[in-house]
Formats: sequence, C-alpha cells, structure tokens
Amino acid sequence: MTEAHVRVENLRKTYQTRTDEIEAIREVQMDVAEGEFISILGPSGCGKSTLLMIVGGLLPLTSGTVAVAGENVSKPRRDTGVVFQAPVLMPWRTILKNVMFPIESLGLREEEYIDRAHELLEMTGLSGFADNVPSELSGGMQQRVAICRALIHNPNLLLMDEPFSALDAMTRDLMNQELLRIWEEYKKTVLFVTHSIREAVFLSDRVFVMSPRPAVISEIVTIDLPRPRELAIEETPEFNEYVAHLRGLIEH
Amino acid sequence: MANSNGGKNLFSLISQIGGPSVIFFVMLVLWQVIVILLKVPQAILPTPLVIIETMAKHWELLMIHSWPTLSECLMGFGLAVVVGMGLGISLAFFPKFHNSVYPLIVAFQVVPKVALAPLFIVWFGLGTLSRVLLAFVIAFFPMVVNTYAGILSTDPLMVRMAHSFNANRWTVFCKIEFPNALPYIFSGLKIGITFAVIGIIVAEFVTAQKGLGYLIVFAEGNIDTPLLMAAITVLSVIGVVLYAAIVALEKMVVTWDVGQDLH
Ligand SMILES: Nc1ncnc2c1ncn2[C@@H]1O[C@H](COP(=O)(O)OP(=O)(O)O)[C@@H](O)[C@H]1O
Ligand SMILES: [Mg+2]
Repeated sequence: MTEAHVRVENLRKTYQTRTDEIEAIREVQMDVAEGEFISILGPSGCGKSTLLMIVGGLLPLTSGTVAVAGENVSKPRRDTGVVFQAPVLMPWRTILKNVMFPIESLGLREEEYIDRAHELLEMTGLSGFADNVPSELSGGMQQRVAICRALIHNPNLLLMDEPFSALDAMTRDLMNQELLRIWEEYKKTVLFVTHSIREAVFLSDRVFVMSPRPAVISEIVTIDLPRPRELAIEETPEFNEYVAHLRGLIEH
Repeated sequence: MANSNGGKNLFSLISQIGGPSVIFFVMLVLWQVIVILLKVPQAILPTPLVIIETMAKHWELLMIHSWPTLSECLMGFGLAVVVGMGLGISLAFFPKFHNSVYPLIVAFQVVPKVALAPLFIVWFGLGTLSRVLLAFVIAFFPMVVNTYAGILSTDPLMVRMAHSFNANRWTVFCKIEFPNALPYIFSGLKIGITFAVIGIIVAEFVTAQKGLGYLIVFAEGNIDTPLLMAAITVLSVIGVVLYAAIVALEKMVVTWDVGQDLH
C-alpha cells in the first residue's frame, strides 16, 4: 500500500475546562487510503466531532500525530473541505455566493470557479436556485449547498460531521444516495461521521467504530458490498448482516 | 421576503402607511372640533388649522432655525456613528481591551447625558461644538453597544466554517461578523438618530442661540403657543424624515430574514 492519505497515530485529546480536564479521545489510530469512503461510527458524545475537527486542523490535539497527504496537520488545509452538522449558510448571500465563499477566503480567482459552482449546483439538483437566498430552501437543499461549498475548491479530502442527522428519514436516504453519486463522480477521500449504523454501512468502504468516551477505535469493519450502491441494497441479507454485526459491536 | 416584486412592494407600502394616515387624520379632525367646541384658548392649545396657518406665515423663520438643527444633528449623529461603530468593532477585535473598557461604557450609559449640557457650555462655549458634542454623547452609546452585540451574536459555527476554508481574522470580520452585525447596527442607527435629535434640542434650549429648540423656548417666552407648536411640528417632521431615511437604507441593505427579536 502506498502512503496513506490520512494517517492518525496515537492521537489523544483532552479538553481543558475551567474546573477540570475532559478526556475526549484516549487513543486513536487510523490509516485511510486515497479515495476511500470511511465512516466514523459511535454514540453521541464519544468524540467523533473532536476527531474530525482535529483532522481538519480546526482543533489542536493534545498528543500524537495527524497527517494528511504526508504532512502534519496544524491548521486548516487548502485541500480539505468540511461539511458541518448544520448547513451554516450565510443568510445575506445568495446560494451561488455561498458556494463561492471558499474561493474568496482562499484567495483564488473567482472567474475560474464560477462554472464549477454552477456544475456542482446542477449535480445536486439546485441549478434553479443559484440566485435564491438560503431561507427559501428546505433543510435538505441547504445541506446540499453546504456540500457544494465544501467541494468548490476541488479538495482531495472531504470531512463530513453528521451532515444529514437533522433531516427526516426519507430526505436522509435521498441525500445518502446523492452523496454516493457525487463521490463516484469526484472520487474524493471522505471521512463521514455518523451515529446511524445503516447510513455507515450504506455509504462506506470501511467503518471505524468508536467506543464511548474516552474514545478509542474499537473495531474496523470492511463493508464488502458492490458499488455503485442503490437504496435497494438495504433490503439485501448481506447489508443487514453488516448492520447486525455493527450493532453487536456497539452494544458491547 | 427578499425577492418580492416591485408592484407587490408598492402595494404593501400603501397598505402599511394607509392605516396610520387615516387614524392620524381622524385625530387631527377630532382635535380641531374639540378645541373649537370647548373654546380652548389659543395660548393653551391652538387648532391644527391655526398651526398650519402659523407655519405658512412664519415659514422663513422656521426654515432659518431648522437648518442649524438639522445640520448639527447630522454632525453629532455622524460622529456617533463613526466613533461608536469604530469602538464597537475594536471591542470585538481586542478582548483584553473589552475587559477594561466595556464596564466603563456600561457605567457611562447610565449617566443621563442631557445633564451634561451645562457642563459642555462651561467647557466648549455656547456655539455649535457644545450642541454637536451633546448629540454625539447621547447617540454614541447605542451605536457602540449595538455594533458590539451584533458582532458577538455571530454563530461560532459559522466562524469555524470560515476558518475551515482558511479565512483569516480580517475575512471573518468583513464577510461574516460585519454582515451579521448589520441588523443590530441598524437598530443602533434608529435609536441613535432619535437620541441625536433630543440632544440637539436640549442643547439648543440651554445655549439659546439658534435652532428649533431655541425657537421653541423663544415662542414660549412670548406665550406664542401657535409658533411653539409650529416649531414642534417642523421638528417632528425632521425627526420622522431622518428616521425614515434610515429605515429605507435598512430595507436596501438588510434584505435577508433576521430573527424575530430584531423586528
Ligand atoms: N470545547 C469543549 N470543551 C470541553 N469539553 C468538550 C468540548 N467539546 C467537546 N467536549 C466534550 O468532549 C466529548 C466529545 O465531544 P464530541 O467530539 O462533540 O462528540 P460527538 O461528536 O461524538 O458527539 C463530549 O463529552 C463533550 O462533552
Ligand atoms: Mg458531534
């Protein structure tokens, strides 16, 4: 195997509060190959967001190393895109201008990316909404805008922190399918945080199971299901075996 | 709604203004009728028609005194906007600065600023400077406090989002914090302009040199209540026009939906 795209070694993270220390992550090791779709699965409060934010360079670590493309991460990288749990769109900007925000803040030339912005909006079924404002879009549509925004500068690594957890079940299924379609098209490495077992199985090449806090990776499960995947795959016995297996791991 | 069409806007504007206008007109008519029926002396309460007549008769005098009031008010307000927003922004940029300065600002805010008018005369004389400075100190506090509160109200997740795309401090301020603060800043502007008018009028009462405030005191001294009411009317019109100008600007700038707490 060539150099890992994302490598996490002996990662430890303790939050310092005024009164005490909270050990969020005790010991995490991860090796993620280029183009892999990885889910990080664990109960709420176990440290998934913490891990993802450290990989994104948005939080300092306590000890250990996190490297992306062979370089230690200490601040946000230009080749990473992050999608948060909420869409966090700027209400004063149109959808197109929201998608273009990273181009401005990264100091790139806007003319060179405007076509790509339209292409991403087209890809996510939002081409008719470029000039709308966020409040005119549903929650699912807003989160799709956030995905377009995370992809606009053509990053190699996409970090997604429970991006669909606020959506209703049906919208969520559709979004998962759409996300896979985007991933097949652009072939990014994805780290996808979730506490939904079915979502993790449906999307991933491998699922990293995190223990309750203080977190360690308790298990890595390779999901050997054919791609491209459609929602119908959730009815197959193989799919449900993975779900049952993961549920067993989490409940212990 | 941000993107409703022009015709709809005009219609909603008319229906918005229509109701209050009718009520206002009915009140004027009642006023006129009651004063005549009860034979209230003019020196106590002139009728609306007498006030309008007086305004026409003394139009030139009223205008001569309106300009200094308007211009000094705008100077004091402008100064408050620049200094107030500047300080509000600095407070947000430098947390250390905030810790030492903000308690003082809050403390000063409690001081009834009009009480400073006599002091300003002692320090700065009876001229424009005293009046502008009084308007300034009154209008200044809502500007600082609202600017600062507006910046602080920024969603931390939005700042984190910006950081994830390598935004620096300046970009975060210009593209996230400042636009986020705009609705608050406009609230500050609306309070500020109202306060600035109060400041100028009080200062004109005390300095007694020129302006509508002076004209009011002068008319009161002559028991010329119609002229007094005419001056108050012109002053009210100035206040309403200034306020409306800010509201119009706000409608142009803040086109997005803002949480209900600000409306
Ligand atoms: N800024 C912080 N200060 C102190 N403790 C924190 C902070 N952020 C998160 N934590 C704690 O760290 C643990 C992991 O949080 P998080 O990574 O958000 O979990 P998850 O995303 O899996 O729900 C939680 O117990 C949480 O209370
Ligand atoms: Mg989380």
